[in-house]
Amino acid sequence: MFHLSSMSFEKLEANGFAHSMIPILKKLYKDDPEAYKQALERHTAFYNTEPQVGSLVNGVVASIEEERANGKEVNDEMIHSVKTGLMGPIAGMGDSIIQGIIIPILLSIGMGISANGNPVGVFVYILGYLSIILTVSYLLYMRGYKMGVQAVDELLGANSERLRSAFTLLGVMVVGGLAASFVKLNTILQIPNGEEVLEFQKTLDGFFPKLLPLIAVLVCWYLISKRKWSATKVLLFLIVVSIAGVLLNVF
Amino acid sequence: MDLLLLIQGLLIGIFCYLGSVSSPWLMGVTGGYYVVGRPLVAGLIIGLILGDVTTGIILGVAVQAAFIATISTGGTQNSEITYAAYGGIALGLLSNADTGVAVTLSVGIGTLGLILHNLMMIVNSVWNKRTEKAAAEGNATKIIYNNAVYPQLLNFVLRVVPITLAVYFGQGFITRVLDIIPKDVTQIMTVLGGLLPALGIALLMNLLIKENKQLIFFLTGFVIIVFFTDSMIALTVFGVLIAYIVFLSLGQSQIETDDDGVI
Repeated sequence: MFHLSSMSFEKLEANGFAHSMIPILKKLYKDDPEAYKQALERHTAFYNTEPQVGSLVNGVVASIEEERANGKEVNDEMIHSVKTGLMGPIAGMGDSIIQGIIIPILLSIGMGISANGNPVGVFVYILGYLSIILTVSYLLYMRGYKMGVQAVDELLGANSERLRSAFTLLGVMVVGGLAASFVKLNTILQIPNGEEVLEFQKTLDGFFPKLLPLIAVLVCWYLISKRKWSATKVLLFLIVVSIAGVLLNVF
Repeated sequence: MDLLLLIQGLLIGIFCYLGSVSSPWLMGVTGGYYVVGRPLVAGLIIGLILGDVTTGIILGVAVQAAFIATISTGGTQNSEITYAAYGGIALGLLSNADTGVAVTLSVGIGTLGLILHNLMMIVNSVWNKRTEKAAAEGNATKIIYNNAVYPQLLNFVLRVVPITLAVYFGQGFITRVLDIIPKDVTQIMTVLGGLLPALGIALLMNLLIKENKQLIFFLTGFVIIVFFTDSMIALTVFGVLIAYIVFLSLGQSQIETDDDGVI
């Protein structure tokens, strides 16, 4: 919970991890103040992950520390490598699943209900999100604790690769839906057609209603993904497009 | 001096702090950043504080659309969503702006907010050394102070003060500006407000799409919403079905390669 509290560019969540280990370390090393100090120091090393599903790492590390306190041969490198080995994949999966799939889906459901100012949609989002994440976070911590290092293999094994592809695919489809729902762009171009003028947007609506938003998203994606533009640069680009479009009477 | 407005600004600033990414009080990011920090929820809270829940939520939904796909991976981001939500929606509501203007205000405030947020991330390096020292001494209380208390005081000041001032002084300013700007500029803001979600979605695609052929699933999702249904729930269920089929088929090919290996 306090993971991001003192987040800094230098060590990101290192202090938070140490903080979260205090209760368990205190219990484990209560008869050995020297080992307790060493353990605390061990956990101030650079650390960064998705804090909600990252509870798995806290669970794993707690169980390893317990083994060590009970006299098993566990060296510092092992604990560091477990932490650094887990934090990357978990951050990747956690960020894309939570921020890429769960939150956008719940938000868009809530937004649909709240579009006319109805507060019910807001509560749907709050309750839905809290119940999902708190359950997942708690289960992952306990699971990490019970399985110890084995959890590492389970997460990094072939099964997780399949699971990850499947989740990514779901995410990509949902993102497609979000694009269609939330990006808005219409043209006011008029094409002279004999005596009458043809409203170009109506023609577009005839065969593909949201074609312009689709193009806008694909252009942005192309610039970021293929041209390696920064988000700020794309933002400026969109501003220029809006200004030019309005002044030239296109939008 | 308008005391009521000052108190309202202060309350909004405090919620902006509670919803910030590093605020620990509401179960860390779970209840804070990902709930109170979302513009949709901010709309409700601001609406309650300023006494107009309906407008608050409508503006919240509009700003949320622009930030629907906001992601912050590995501590980097392009706009600070909590500053954007609380500053933009509050000023939009107070100056009776329409949704496009509120969205543009949010993006502007979010960019300024990001500067403050990054400043905090840099200053927070100070606590690292102190925490290391505390750990070497085996001093748990000191670790807690250096991880939770001091950085949070800084975060609190950096959130509450600017947002309170913006709400207090910004209202009259924004209203006057909106009165004198020409129609073209408002139109540009509206167009931009509609386009901004494209950026967030593109960032999300960049995170998820590793191979170009995955674009077909993006198109499928897009087309389903355009031509078949408006419901995200329907799309999600359909997406789960496809994902499950792919999961099963991937499993099969996995086993086959294993067999080949044995032979």
